Order: sequence, then C-alpha cells, then structure tokens
Amino acid sequence: MLLQLNGIFKWVQQGGQRVFLLKDINLEVEEGEFISIMGPSGSGKSTLLNVIGMLDDFDEGEYNFLDEPVHQLKEKHRANLYKQYIGFVFQAYHLIDELTVYENLEMPLLYKKLKGSDRKAMVADMLDRFGIVGKKDLFPTQLSGGQQQLVGVARALISKPKLILADEPTGNLNSKQSSEIMALFKELNDDGVTIIQATHSEQNAAYGKRIINLLDGRKV
Amino acid sequence: MLKNYLKIGWRNLMKDKTFTALNVIGLSVASGIAILLSMAAFFDLSFDKFHEKGDRIYQVYWTEQTPRGPEAGTSLPAPFADALKTEVPGVESITRFLEAEALTTYGDTEINLDAVWVDADFFEMFTFPVLKGKKNDVLQNKSSVVITEQTAEKLFGDTEAIGQIVNIRIGSEDLPFTVAAVTADNQAQNSLDFEMAIPFENTLSYTERMKTWGSIYHDVYVQLQPGVDAKQFERNTRSFVSLHYKEDIENLKRDGAMANADGLFRQLGLLLLENVHYTSFKKGYAEISRAIPYLILGVAFLILLIACVNFINMNIAKSSQRLREIGMRKTLGATKKHLFFQFWSESLFIFIASIGFGVLLSALFIDDFKTMFRSAISMDILTSPLVIFGSLVFVCLITLVVGGYPALLLSRLGTIQSLKGKLESSGGNRVRNALMILQFGIAILLMSGTLVLWGQVDFMRNKDLGFDKNQVLSFPLDGKKNNYEAVKLLRDELAGNPDILSVTASDNNLGRGKDGSQSTSVWGVEYKGRGIRTNALTVDYGYLETLGLELVLGRSFDMDYAGDTQSVIINESMARQLGETDPLTAFFPVSDSLHYPVIGVVKDYNFQDISKAIEPLTIFLNNESGLSYAFIKVAPMNMANSFGAVETAWKKIEPNSEFLGSFLDENIDNTFQREKMMATMITSGSIIAIALSCIGLFAMSLLIVSQRTKEIGVRKVLGASVASITVLLTKDFLKLVLVSFFIASPIAYWLLRQWLENYTYRINLGMWFFVAAGLLALIIALLTVGIRTVSAAMQNPVKSLRTE
Repeated sequence: MLLQLNGIFKWVQQGGQRVFLLKDINLEVEEGEFISIMGPSGSGKSTLLNVIGMLDDFDEGEYNFLDEPVHQLKEKHRANLYKQYIGFVFQAYHLIDELTVYENLEMPLLYKKLKGSDRKAMVADMLDRFGIVGKKDLFPTQLSGGQQQLVGVARALISKPKLILADEPTGNLNSKQSSEIMALFKELNDDGVTIIQATHSEQNAAYGKRIINLLDGRKV
Repeated sequence: MLKNYLKIGWRNLMKDKTFTALNVIGLSVASGIAILLSMAAFFDLSFDKFHEKGDRIYQVYWTEQTPRGPEAGTSLPAPFADALKTEVPGVESITRFLEAEALTTYGDTEINLDAVWVDADFFEMFTFPVLKGKKNDVLQNKSSVVITEQTAEKLFGDTEAIGQIVNIRIGSEDLPFTVAAVTADNQAQNSLDFEMAIPFENTLSYTERMKTWGSIYHDVYVQLQPGVDAKQFERNTRSFVSLHYKEDIENLKRDGAMANADGLFRQLGLLLLENVHYTSFKKGYAEISRAIPYLILGVAFLILLIACVNFINMNIAKSSQRLREIGMRKTLGATKKHLFFQFWSESLFIFIASIGFGVLLSALFIDDFKTMFRSAISMDILTSPLVIFGSLVFVCLITLVVGGYPALLLSRLGTIQSLKGKLESSGGNRVRNALMILQFGIAILLMSGTLVLWGQVDFMRNKDLGFDKNQVLSFPLDGKKNNYEAVKLLRDELAGNPDILSVTASDNNLGRGKDGSQSTSVWGVEYKGRGIRTNALTVDYGYLETLGLELVLGRSFDMDYAGDTQSVIINESMARQLGETDPLTAFFPVSDSLHYPVIGVVKDYNFQDISKAIEPLTIFLNNESGLSYAFIKVAPMNMANSFGAVETAWKKIEPNSEFLGSFLDENIDNTFQREKMMATMITSGSIIAIALSCIGLFAMSLLIVSQRTKEIGVRKVLGASVASITVLLTKDFLKLVLVSFFIASPIAYWLLRQWLENYTYRINLGMWFFVAAGLLALIIALLTVGIRTVSAAMQNPVKSLRTE
C-alpha cells in the first residue's frame, strides 16, 4: 500500500463557524493506481491533493504514507518524504520564468544534493525521453502551453517519484495538447508510476483506473 | 547550487533594469560617500597616536577659580617645568614647548620656518625618528637644531645637512646654530608638527623670564614614570601649586572667588597626549570633544542607512513578484535555510558590486573631496588590513540585516499561499512605512541642519563687527627690519598713492590672515584693590581711524600729544569693568608705580572670533616695537591695484620676506572655516540623503502603482477622474512625509539649539527653518511620486484591466 487516509477533516474558521474543506475522507491508494478526482469548483479537489502532497495540513484524522504516520511527522521529515517520493504537476505549470528548461529540470536535483555529473546525466535522460533536447536552452515564456506542461511533467518525474499529483494538469491547454499530456500520463502509469489527478473533464477522468467524486469536501 | 542562485539572481536583476539600476546606483553612491566621509572622520580621530610612549605623555594645564568663574589654559611660566620635575615625584621626562616662527638664513636663503622651541627631552619623549645625524640627546647642545627632511631640502638642497650652520633671528640678533640631526617629515596626524626644533633656552629674554612665574607663554608636556597614575599625580601637585602660586591664590580669595569642589582655587591637570588635539579650554575646564568627526561619521551612517532602507523596501516589494518561484521551490524540496541563503546571497551579490562601485567612486572623487573639505586623507587608508577586514565584517553584517530581513520574510511564507501568488502582509507594509518615515525624517533633519548652519554662517559673515573689514587689508610684518621702521618706510612708500588712505600697525591681526596665526594677550592687573583682566593690544598711530572704530568718549592717539605713548584707550566692556562714572578719569595700572591715563573709549567691536562675546580691551600705543601686522586702508575703487601697490612697496622694503596680505573680510571668513566646512558637509549630506530617499520613493511608487493597476482600472471604469486617482495614490506617501516631519523637527530643533549655544551672536532658531525643510521634503516627494501616479491615472482603464 502506498498511502492511506483515515477520517481526514480539514476546516477553516469563518465568523465563528467551521467551514469544512474536507470532511471524513477515507482513501487507500495502492502502488500503480491511476486515480482521477472529480467534482465541481470548490468541492475540495485541490485541497485533497495538497493534503496528500503534504503541502497542506489537515485538522483531524490519520495519514500514512509508505507506513510512515505523516500526521505525527515533523515538518522536516515530511519535506524529506515528499521530496523523495512525490512529484507535482500544476495547472499553471509553475515553471520558474528566470530559469531555462534545462535549469528548471535540474532544480529538484539541486535540493537533493546530487553531484553535478549525476544531475547532468539525469537531466539529459529526461530531455531525451520527452523529446525536448532542442528546447533545453529556451526560457518557459518562449514555449507553448503544451510544451511548458511537458517540462512541468518532466520536472515532476526527474527525481523518480513513486507518486505524481497533478492538479488540473490540462486546465490551461487546448484539446490536442491535453490529450497528448494525458497519453503521457497513461504511459507513465503503465511504467508503474502511481498517479492521482484532479480534473473537471469527464474525458480526462476516463484515463484513470478509478474515479473519486467529491462534493463539498465529502466523498460521494 | 550557488551558481544556480547567482544565475537566477542575475536574471531577476536584468528583468527589471530600472529597478536594479535605482538600487545599485543608490547603494553605490551612498557607499562611495560613506567611504569618503568615514575616511575623513577616522583621519580626524587618529591624531597623535603614533608616539610609542603616548600612553604616558600628558600636556599640563591649569584651572583657576576667578571671581568671573572658572578659567583654564595651558600656558605656563618658564621656571615651571624644572620645578615640577624636581619637586613632584613621578616625572620621567618633561619638556617646554613653544611654537613660534624662526627667521632662518643660510647663505642667500632666508625662510620663515615653523619652529618649536623645546627642551632636550622632547626627542626622547615623542616618536620623531632621526634619519641622519646624532641619534640620542640631539638637543643637548644649546646651539644645535633639529630639522625635518623637507626643511633640509628647502635650506640646503642636495648638500648634506648635518653639521651645517644656519643663522636664526632671535630678537634683533642673528645667532648661529648647527644642524645636529634630520628627522623624517611630519606625519599628517600630528598636532606637534614642526619644521625645525630649537633648544628652549634660546627663546627671547629667557634669563629674565626664568626669574618670574608671572609670564606665561608656553606649553609643557610631561612623561610620567611607568605605573604612575595621572589622577594621583594631579593630587600630588597640590602642595606644589599652593607653594608657587601662594600670592595668586590669596588675591583670588580677596577678590571673592569661590573655591571649587575640592576647596582649591588653582589646580594643575594632565591631559593625555591623544586628547590634546580635541581639547578646548573655552569654558574654564578641559573639554575633550570629538564631536565633529563623530558628526561626520554620523552623516555617513545616516546616508548608508537611507540606502539600506531603500534596499530593504525595494527587496520586499519586489519579492511579491517572486512568490510563485518561492512556492515552487518549496514543493520541490527547498527548506527555509535554502531559501534564506538564496535571497541573502543575492543581496550580498548586489552589495559587493555596489561597494565595489562605491570604492571606485570614492577613488574618483577623493581629490575634489580633499580640496572641498581641506582634509589630508588618502586612499592608502583603505589598503590597511585592519580596514579591509573591518569593512568586510561590516558588509557581512549589513547584508545579513538588510538582505536577511526580506529573505527571512520570504522563506517563512507558506507553500500553498505563495504558490497562489498572494501576500497577506499588512505587517510588511507597516515595516515599510516605518522605514520610509525614518528615511524622510533623516532627510528633514539634515535639511533643517543645512538651513540653520548656512543661516548662522551668513549671519556671521554679514554681522557688523564694529570695524571696517571690506576696505582694510593686513599682512604680517615678518622681515628683518625693526617693525616700527618698516611701517614708517611703508607709509612713506605709499604716501603718493591716492588709493591708499592710511597705514597703521598693531601687534595682533583681526581674524585669521594667510599666516594662519591668531592670538590674544591677556593682562591681569590690580585696579583699586581688585583684580581685573583685560585683553591688550599695542597699536601704531591711526589705528582707530584706519579701522573705522567709533569713539564714544575722549579722543584717539595723536602725534601732537607727546604723552600718548603712556596713555591707553579702552573699549566699553573695559569701561564697565573699571566701573567709573566717567571712564576718562580712570587709569590703567601698568605696574605699582606706573599708571597710564585713559584718554578715550571706543565702542565695543569684535576683536576676537565672532563666536565669542566682546571682552574688555585696552589699547596701548608704542612707538618703538611690538608691532607685528600692518593695516592699510584703501579706497573702494581699484582695490586690486591698491593691493598690488602695497605688495610692491613691501617687496621693496623687505625683498626676502613673503607678502602675506589679505583683506580683513577674508580673514574674518577664515575664522569660521570650521563652520563653513561643517555646513558644506551637511549640505552635501542632505542633498545625497534627499536624492537617495527620492530614489526609494520613486521605486516604491512604481511598485505600488503596478500593484494597484487593477484597482485604478476599476475606479476609472466607475467614473473616477484623473485628479482623484492621483490624489488617492499620492496621499499615502504624503502622510508618511508629514509624520516624519513631526518626528524629525523636534529632534532637529533640540540638536541645533545645542549647537547654536556655542555662539554668543547667533540667529534666532525660528520655526520657519523646519517648516521650510518639511515643505521642501514634501514638494520633492510630491514631484517624485506625482510623475508616476499621474501617468498611471491617465492610462486607458481597458488596458490596465486586461493585464490582470
């Protein structure tokens, strides 16, 4: 088992009242799964992904990741955990505009303190695999949206994560670019990477092996 | 990793070139100025530190409780030094010290040298390394002298100096002296500088002066034995003082002086050599003040502070544009430490570059700086390892605070929040506002300082001093001829020239002439059973007329009255001191048996520095000697020609002497050189401070306008006018300027009032100085912010909304 959520609650205080963002979420994810989370805006898709990705805290419940109790871990341990096992893909790509494609890919490796030669090999490998060798010295703003998201996925993959969390990965793309990205996800999943994506689109959700529906922070 | 940081840092800088330029220019200028100013300040602070035994050498000074209040000074009588050494234990060496010019001739060369007249111990105590000649006891022989390398060059050229015989004029005789040693040239930070050292025994009328304790005319330096405490030594001199000054003390008691806290009327004090340069005795005690160098350092610090505030503000404001980067880095595994280090290294990078530029700037402008502020600094100071190390530490500390604070703010942000690109920071704004208030407060402080300083300088320059300073020129009579003769010859020589109105002379200059000397002689006498004190001035006929002094009572000296050489003219203060209903019935007691009648009273005029109140003055007439300065009144037309005529005449009378003539208004200006220097320095400081604050303000207005583009668009769509939007955007900045005005003006008022206390004649410290400074700051701020806001307000709202 890759991860397990038991009775997760998350809320914010608003005018003396609790507004629940997540309500009693129970979820088990096995390695190699491809899960699509669906639901309307504000249903808690992104929040759930952030909680799984350990970017956000929750208020109640248990979360085990690879048998480590995340809810008991300190900030630093948690950071190490997600740094090692989780890759993120965002709707707005979140590439760093001031860095080239090559440097954007290299950045996660810098924070893992890898040697220069290793980094070079891994980045070259990734550029090759995604067919963007020719674009390695371009800046993100010089790329199309689809290409940017390609780099975004490549960056998420470079540290060889077990789990990829994708928050509306195709939200800013046209249909052609979006089916390319989804095909890529499918391919990755076939290679054994676990993927959880949040999406609006039925079509994209269909790529997943399992679909979870959220409404007002609750699984339906 | 570092490479990656620097790369992204560099690209971020290049992305917004205006911003970077503003930042770097501000910091470079500020550090350049700060380097120059602190060099000048440290130069001023390190006087007399090179003497190896300096921690044991002291200048002796006295304090006295007089009926008019305490008085203090360093002048001592000739027998004092020997007596102190033999009678009070603890003295290792002692030397008398008198600075007086010595007219020196060697072959055809005739030069006035700055000589010090000292005892044999002088070269044992002070560290003036002997380069050539006798190494020890160089002044043991009464007829030997020590000169510096530069003097040797002046006198002998390439000829070997040791053993040469020079003639030095003492009184009216030329006496031969042998050059015993040559020392290295004077260091710049030396308050005992000399061109030639002559044994003290050779001073004029030495033998007579050795017999009396009443004639005080030279300083004394003493070197205590190791382990002797200066305070203890001062206490040990009490019986010495009561023995040798018995009569003075009794007179003081009789005249109603109050004893000091220790029950004493007269005391000796020791002043550590390092402090001598910074001590003044004006207020009746030894006041050691290093205020000016510290003030300069303060200005340097304030300028640097303003630049740093700019840097912090710009960095924080700018960082809101990098929130996504921060968030992304966090999701990719960056820790707080990583982020802090990244942003800090960026700041360090900018700082090092700016300081590099600053050093370059200061090297470029050092010569201008030196002439402007009459400082003898050199870039060499910057190469000493201590300074390099010190400034490195300083830079690291500054960047740690300045770069570290924004870095800390950024590294603490939550991941999700920063990814969304929103900064909830009312707290950040508060810090920013406080910093801007600080910045403008400093600017207003410096500006009001500038206004007041110039006001005071202007006031002193234009004050009616009671004599004619525009049409009168003066010069030292430093030739070989008897000075009375010289004046007579001068008078004859200039008699035919219609532009020369009158010629006279006195023993003292007014203001400070080109020879740079300024002195006053004070007499203490007994008048009808009480001690009085007066300044004494010896003049030639026509002095009052030449200077345009106004007679209140009686008459001026007149050649037709033979007895006038034995009469005096006094000023109003002196008349008040004498306390006679009719001052013309008073007399001046020259000695017990000899009384000079008062024949006239002149209106009080400023014969000393303008900063001083007018003291009692007695004017003597002497037709044989004692004249040192000639005064010549010229017609208001052709003043340059008249000046030339005087010079030619003087050259004819004394071909070997240099003509150091100057008009009295220049002389007066010279006496407030310090004030003028301070005013220039504060002015430049405040201009820089204002410019830097404006850079900061401008950058902030750029950012705030760009952050509020959407708001501006929405407001315009809803019908707001250009004017109302400009007001909206400008209002916040103006509020800050107002707040800083209310904080800074009281501080400025207090500081400036303290400073003006030093001047007897001073301007009124009116509100308008501060209002003017505040208004100026307000207008400048308005212009700076206005440019950007008006153009923002005029933009087409559709465009600004679309960019969102």
